[in-house]
Amino acid sequence: MAAEQRIEPKKKPKRQKMNKRQKKEALWGLLFVSPFIIGFLAFMLLPMAFSFIGSFTNYNITSRMDFIGFENFTRMFTNDQLFLTSLYNTVFYVVLNVPLTTAGGVFLAVLLNRKIRGISIFRTIFYLPAILSGVAVYVLWMQLLSPSSGLINTVLSWVGIAGPSWLFDPNWTKPALILMRLWSVGGAMLLYLATLQNVPIQLYESAEVDGAGPFKKLRHITLPLITPIIFYDVITSTIGAFQIFQEAYVMTENGTGGPANSLLFYNLHMWNKAFVAFDMGYAMAMSLVLFAIVIVLTFINLKLAPRWVHY
Amino acid sequence: MIESSKTDYSQKNMSSESNAQSKYFKSKKRQEQLGKIAIYVILILVSLILLAPLVWMLSTSLKPMSEIVRFPPTILPETFVWQNYLDTIQAFPFFKYMGNTLFITGFVVLGNVFSNSFIAYGFAKIEFPGKKILFALVLATMMVPGFVTMIPQYILFTRINWVGTYLPLIVPAFFGSAFNIFLLRQFYLSINNELIEAAQIDGANHLYIWSHLMVPLTKPALITVGIMSFNGAWNDFLGPLLYISKEDMYTLQIGLQSFSNQSTTQWNYLMAGATLVLIPSILLFFFAQKYFIEGMDLTGGTKG
Amino acid sequence: MNSKRSIKLLKQSLILGSTVILLAACGNSNDTSDQESADGRTTLEFWSFWGSGARRETIEEIIEEYNASQDDVTVEHVYQPWGDIWTKSLAAIAGGNAPDVIVQDINSVKQRAEAQQATNLQDYLDEDDISGDFYPQLWDTVLYEEEAYALPFNTDTQVLFYNKTAFEEAGLDPEMPPETWDELEEMARQLDQGSEGNWEQIGFYPRWNIGVDVWALNADGGEAWFDSNGEVAINTPEKVEALEWMLDWQDYYGRDTINQYEAEFGSGVSDPFISGLVSMRGQNINYYTNLVENAPDDFEFGVAPLPEKEEGSGHWSWGGGFVLEVPENTDHPEESYDFMKYLSSTEVQEKFGMNSFDIMANTEANENLKTHEELDEMGQMIYELADQNLAVTTITPVPLNAPDFNSLVNTEIDAAFLGQKTAKEALDDAQESVENLAE
Repeated sequence: MAAEQRIEPKKKPKRQKMNKRQKKEALWGLLFVSPFIIGFLAFMLLPMAFSFIGSFTNYNITSRMDFIGFENFTRMFTNDQLFLTSLYNTVFYVVLNVPLTTAGGVFLAVLLNRKIRGISIFRTIFYLPAILSGVAVYVLWMQLLSPSSGLINTVLSWVGIAGPSWLFDPNWTKPALILMRLWSVGGAMLLYLATLQNVPIQLYESAEVDGAGPFKKLRHITLPLITPIIFYDVITSTIGAFQIFQEAYVMTENGTGGPANSLLFYNLHMWNKAFVAFDMGYAMAMSLVLFAIVIVLTFINLKLAPRWVHY
Repeated sequence: MIESSKTDYSQKNMSSESNAQSKYFKSKKRQEQLGKIAIYVILILVSLILLAPLVWMLSTSLKPMSEIVRFPPTILPETFVWQNYLDTIQAFPFFKYMGNTLFITGFVVLGNVFSNSFIAYGFAKIEFPGKKILFALVLATMMVPGFVTMIPQYILFTRINWVGTYLPLIVPAFFGSAFNIFLLRQFYLSINNELIEAAQIDGANHLYIWSHLMVPLTKPALITVGIMSFNGAWNDFLGPLLYISKEDMYTLQIGLQSFSNQSTTQWNYLMAGATLVLIPSILLFFFAQKYFIEGMDLTGGTKG
Repeated sequence: MNSKRSIKLLKQSLILGSTVILLAACGNSNDTSDQESADGRTTLEFWSFWGSGARRETIEEIIEEYNASQDDVTVEHVYQPWGDIWTKSLAAIAGGNAPDVIVQDINSVKQRAEAQQATNLQDYLDEDDISGDFYPQLWDTVLYEEEAYALPFNTDTQVLFYNKTAFEEAGLDPEMPPETWDELEEMARQLDQGSEGNWEQIGFYPRWNIGVDVWALNADGGEAWFDSNGEVAINTPEKVEALEWMLDWQDYYGRDTINQYEAEFGSGVSDPFISGLVSMRGQNINYYTNLVENAPDDFEFGVAPLPEKEEGSGHWSWGGGFVLEVPENTDHPEESYDFMKYLSSTEVQEKFGMNSFDIMANTEANENLKTHEELDEMGQMIYELADQNLAVTTITPVPLNAPDFNSLVNTEIDAAFLGQKTAKEALDDAQESVENLAE
């Protein structure tokens, strides 16, 4: 077998009948990805198909599921004034959140990727916020963002800035949530930190000999080498940001998305339709629209990737 | 003569070079020291910002309710009520729930690390027809909002009699999850193909290459997936809520919710509980991140 | 296509697909608890959100007594987290493995009845009509097309809490809380300390802890956004006046002050009333328990009905509560109903009320609690007030034709408070968009 491989040309002509080796290779490939295929067929395909079909019905979860064509979709754009509000809020959040958290993650990872005394403790502290979850965190942030007694405005007041009412001023609610996300950027940091372990130190050393300063090294060595993970981070955090829900659900009164609907995000509106109004068909239609939006964005990202991602 | 002069020359040259070098190193050393101090200052400042909310959490967990409701809030407790922690672990079978959570989390971490690295290897390093479409499917599964598939998925698990067991929480982890497949694929793609080709020439098959080459080479990445899976499963609330129907099978996150009801929340217990739940995650991370440094040593040399 | 059939079809396809995993992963069936146990007793699963403290202890005691009182049924209590209990029950009902009895929200009984999530109980009631045991407006909430789908369990009502010490300091009679909106305003002015931008004590602000909806209902003779005939009644003159009145309060204290206070106390951790920053506040009567547990020992407070708009307009208030419900398609509805009936009986209701300070749905239980010897004077007074207040308390079940109308109304109200619209404009617009939704 080994001999066979040795003789074979490295580049095989594409779009031709597979030869024996390629067939074998294909089988190996399928073997490796087979757990995903099985898991997808078993656990995901039917629920996904169900919700796809459901979006053309008036499904109410327990007793009704009549086909109503595109009615849910036309209603969305003509007869639901909160739909566009929720879409706007979500896009606003995504546009600010994705670049900031990506940059924040890279920054922290670069800062922490060195062998100095106490680094383990710093790494743990930086990652800590990412582990915290649940209602406790949101309540904690509501306290921190309190206008007069909260820590954030207190610190701002030291430098002479009168902080806003954050979660109770419609102009500041979304920035408040972004601030909160930035706090827990340790999750992204972890990914970059893991990637930086694969950067050969010799690269830095030879760059230093060439007289490269820290910024030059960052720009020309570190960043290019972690582009695959930046790419991953941008795509997944875009997907994640489009699905923002819990923050707004917990931190606004009765999950309504106030004040002035400034925190009514797409998924929150969808949740209210599905579980308050039992209008699951409509919610499924909304999710299909969101799916389409995200898939277009991801496709664009994938198309642009070869220009800046280096493997 | 010629020879000696040559030696002289070289010696002179060497000494001047070493002179310059020592100067260079001296200034470099000072520079490095200054840099080090600057880095410590930044690290400590950022740490303070990041820790402030946790200090608040800890302090709330030690206050009596009568102090918590007061305004303006006290930063540190006036009276330290350590009893809160005792009350918290007695309010529900804390250690039993911890065992349950650990059981689920253990399997999920195992399943996730194993299956995702396996699958990701297939996507990153093997050519087979339909790969692009399959990978698009992986990405697509990330984009479907969970709410709309939640009910059909629940119905599905009901039909196969898995509701009321840990199976719906554990088994899917063994079939890969899109985020992790994607992540590990990115890591594997940046590993040089020549290594694999060389191993193949030596007669190794993909299973061998995956387990003996890829896995050791990407240890930091796998640890990352492990840490994230641990935290995901450890803090999961909706999954156990939906699928577990007996109280003695509950997890910590469900137990913590028992401090809230329609009219009141026992903030002191909630925060004490949240602090206790946090500890294993912190310990895990603290010990796991050490491997990141080892990873660095492997690739050769470390910075001063 | 017939809707039931198409659901069935989808479910069948789900079964089909899942056999794949069944074969692959040897899924072991550990079947439901709904089976008869060895001693021939039927096991009932009962879900509540009472996870800790007095409510949990009491309900478990009650259940123990019930199990001991007869030989046919064993009730098992399972705690489910507050709020999430209903997401879970919805999934369980859709999946066909719901528990036997669930504590549900009182406002959405009709909605669940319409969606066939709850079992019709009318047959049992025809045999033995216990509808008269409950406050009439509570009973109304459990009827869908004139048939009962639940039994009311407990309720609540909005009242006015006031700080007696602050009253004394301001020269007011601590035994004379405000009766009308005018008196409320006068007293608030006397209680106020500080001035624009620097308030040390705020006498009263109507939008704290109770919303515009409650004051609108208070002004409009107890009619909510959807009136008693089910018509959209958002922009009635009385409600517009109520909103104008509330906007005046905001102008008086200043929007910044109000925003700041709301943000300060929005998380519900610090309490401005206990801290002495606010002297009067409208609040759910349940708040009494918080005061008893968390306020300093020397904190003197009083409780009174919400003031009326003007003399004779009525101290209208708003309430909510919880009901007991049997989900659709469970195996033992008859046994479940018997257990629910037990939980609704005067004796059990009295016991639950006494330990939790909840206002019970059973009228006689509340009557008894007014003079219950194990309660202190203040406790008895709370039940006295609750009983009296329930005569003017409106419950607002979710309108079936517009279950999520609230967000539309809130949008307009927020616009009014932000100064973008007048009260009239805001409520006119809300009226229009809710009518549109309800179509």
